[in-house]
Amino acid sequence: MERSHEEPDEGACAAGPAGAGPPDRAARRAAARAALRGVAAEGSGRRVSDVLPLGLASVDAHLPGGGLGLGRPHEIAPLVEGDEPCALGFGLALLARRLDQVAGEALLVVAPGHPTPYGHGLAGLGLDPGRVLLMEAGSDAEVYLALEEALRAGSLPALAGFVGDGLSLKQGRRLQLAAEAAGPLLLILRPARAEAPNGAATRWRIAAGGGARDRFGCLAGPRWRAHLDRCRNGRPGTWLLEWDHAAHRFGLPDALAGHPPAARLAGG
Amino acid sequence: MAVAALGSGGLRLTAVDARAHALGLRPGEPLGRVQARIGTPLRVHPADPEADAAALLRLCLWAQRYTPLVAPFGAAEGGEGLFLDVAGASHLLGGEAGLMADLAGRLSAHAIPACIALADTPGAAFALARHGRDGTIAAPGANAASLRALPVEALRLEPETVAALKRLGLRRIGALADAARAPLARRFGEALLTRLDQALGLRAEPLAPLGEAISYGAARGFLEPIGRQETIVATAQRLMGEIAPRLEADGLGACALRLTLHRVDDALRALDLGLAEPTRCPEHVGRLLRLRLDRLGPDLDAGFGFETVRLDVTGTGAMPARQGALARLAEPETTALARLADALGQRLGRRVIRLEVRESHLPERADVLVPWGAVRAGGTPLPNGRARVRASAPGEGCDVSGEAAPLTPPLSRTEEGARRAVRSILPPRSSGHGDPEPVTRVVLHWPGPEEGLRPRPLVLFERSEAAEEVIALAPEGPPERFRWRRRLHRVAHAEGPERIAPEWWRGLGKGSPDKTRDYYVVECESGRRLWLYRDGAHAPGEPAGWFVHGLFA
Repeated sequence: MERSHEEPDEGACAAGPAGAGPPDRAARRAAARAALRGVAAEGSGRRVSDVLPLGLASVDAHLPGGGLGLGRPHEIAPLVEGDEPCALGFGLALLARRLDQVAGEALLVVAPGHPTPYGHGLAGLGLDPGRVLLMEAGSDAEVYLALEEALRAGSLPALAGFVGDGLSLKQGRRLQLAAEAAGPLLLILRPARAEAPNGAATRWRIAAGGGARDRFGCLAGPRWRAHLDRCRNGRPGTWLLEWDHAAHRFGLPDALAGHPPAARLAGG
Repeated sequence: MAVAALGSGGLRLTAVDARAHALGLRPGEPLGRVQARIGTPLRVHPADPEADAAALLRLCLWAQRYTPLVAPFGAAEGGEGLFLDVAGASHLLGGEAGLMADLAGRLSAHAIPACIALADTPGAAFALARHGRDGTIAAPGANAASLRALPVEALRLEPETVAALKRLGLRRIGALADAARAPLARRFGEALLTRLDQALGLRAEPLAPLGEAISYGAARGFLEPIGRQETIVATAQRLMGEIAPRLEADGLGACALRLTLHRVDDALRALDLGLAEPTRCPEHVGRLLRLRLDRLGPDLDAGFGFETVRLDVTGTGAMPARQGALARLAEPETTALARLADALGQRLGRRVIRLEVRESHLPERADVLVPWGAVRAGGTPLPNGRARVRASAPGEGCDVSGEAAPLTPPLSRTEEGARRAVRSILPPRSSGHGDPEPVTRVVLHWPGPEEGLRPRPLVLFERSEAAEEVIALAPEGPPERFRWRRRLHRVAHAEGPERIAPEWWRGLGKGSPDKTRDYYVVECESGRRLWLYRDGAHAPGEPAGWFVHGLFA
């Protein structure tokens, strides 16, 4: 591994100021990484897209670039049947985080079988329903058509498609090609059973966390157990996440400090 | 041939054709007696009023070739004909006589028996057509004279009134017009004099035309019929280019367009395009039309080709001139979004919708789905300058039939049941007279948890689902255990109740008003949160009904 780092390193050094002393090892490695990234980006003709960080160092460290890549499809599914509202809530929380950063609207394209979110429930998650556009599609094919059309138009910063079957390899590729130019946050929500190999950049499975209480012992905000099953150029992991609807921020449960087994489960 | 329907005392004839008429058959006779009286076999069809109405509507659409104001007969006229308001339109066919001759010729060419009359008022024209000589043209101002000899039933009166008038010896309209008015009004009520005045032109009678008169439109005829999609799109684009300067002069943009294609064999194809934002751009219209025709595919059925293409603006919206930026050619965000909404609408036939909050404590009535574009994203209603929108949802109404969908109010979640496909959608809000429509009970702000609102679920069921085998520790407390969707759920934590009372004005007409609901947020041992309610307050000796109404994230 060390040898492979040397070669671009030499090039980076040659390009750098000649008068400098022997460069620090970490700095050399960083320079080499930057050079490699540039080469990769040039080679494929793509620009290095931005990311949407989840705002938690322990989660973002698992994701390439420190967040969910914009302009790539991300798949979210419930862990088992019955966790659908949690998966929906996690996806909408991500949309809310994205809309917090940029102006514009989010488009949800809903295939039959998925419930339409309730407006007051959206507001309770911190997602302004006035900034959410909905479309009820008749089939999965229509969902993908609508998403591609919206991606090509390039005017929406966040998109989510709720499909009845898993994202297929072909559809994932098509979506990625359409999304590359605009670079929005693109989420695909599928039911628990429809699992298929696909071209999603990350694949999440969400289950109910449960037990979130505020200091008075009342029910606090939503808590999910998020499994990152697949992540291209990243590492999978499992976390217990809480969502703060007012600050649009994910958090790790406080109570874990005094609960070692739960903290181990939550990972880091 | 005759048509029969179930009347008083069995089947009765409702309509007869010319040969049956010659045999002495009349509508209203019992079918059994008729069959016994005439020796010849009679072909009898069951009456189909809906098909009759549809056929009349088609005829009305066709008759719009003469004048834009066409109104089908209502219930009072028997629903078997149509009014044409030819004022200002007759000179196109060589005067009134020319128009009537043309109309009669075309109708007889299609084997439609018709009686045509022309007079100053709809009432007089109806009387002359039904009871006068076919083809009568009453001279302007000579209404009263031409009507005098006609029987009183020509006035569109109730049969009982007609019978009573005949008993009194008032058989002709002339006699009725000469009689003293006060005794007539006292004896027969206002209806008789209203009808008489309407026929004589002393009282105005508004017609209910099919569509509003269209002020912006253009048409192009072709010597050689066209049938290719590109040609149709190019023609429509050029027509829009003709209309655009007129719209621009009035500061308007098109919100709804109708493309009418006249086929060589006299069939009509109408395509309605609804737009999210007013536009004047021919390229945009052409693009949407292309998407629409792509979706329609062979359903368009060009046959031997279209000889006339007509583009009408059926709905307009204010579109004030905007100062263009010199340096930046970027268009505002909403326009890009409107284009996307239009493209999706035409390509998939589905509209982009929004959630809108309604002021109601009942959760299922607290939000509705409205099409995007009715109110802008910022939350301010569209300026209502001279906006006009037809009373049908544009873009959704007619595909190829030329029939418009009726205006339907938005359904709340409970009323709509499980039919997602027919979820109704409000047309863009507008008013006919320029003053803004009073908007009541619409708030454009979503109250959040910070404002003291109790938590609301992320998913609300359209119909709440019953929870069974509910065990509660206290009879008026939250459940400990329940079965829902065939699975047993144990409650780890419950919060509540939040009592939501029904709106008192909604249960007034019904026998059993809705009950008060006590809502609980319940966390199961699996960690999932549900929104349960007990239907009705606790009453001793009465089993409580529990329902799951929503799911939290």
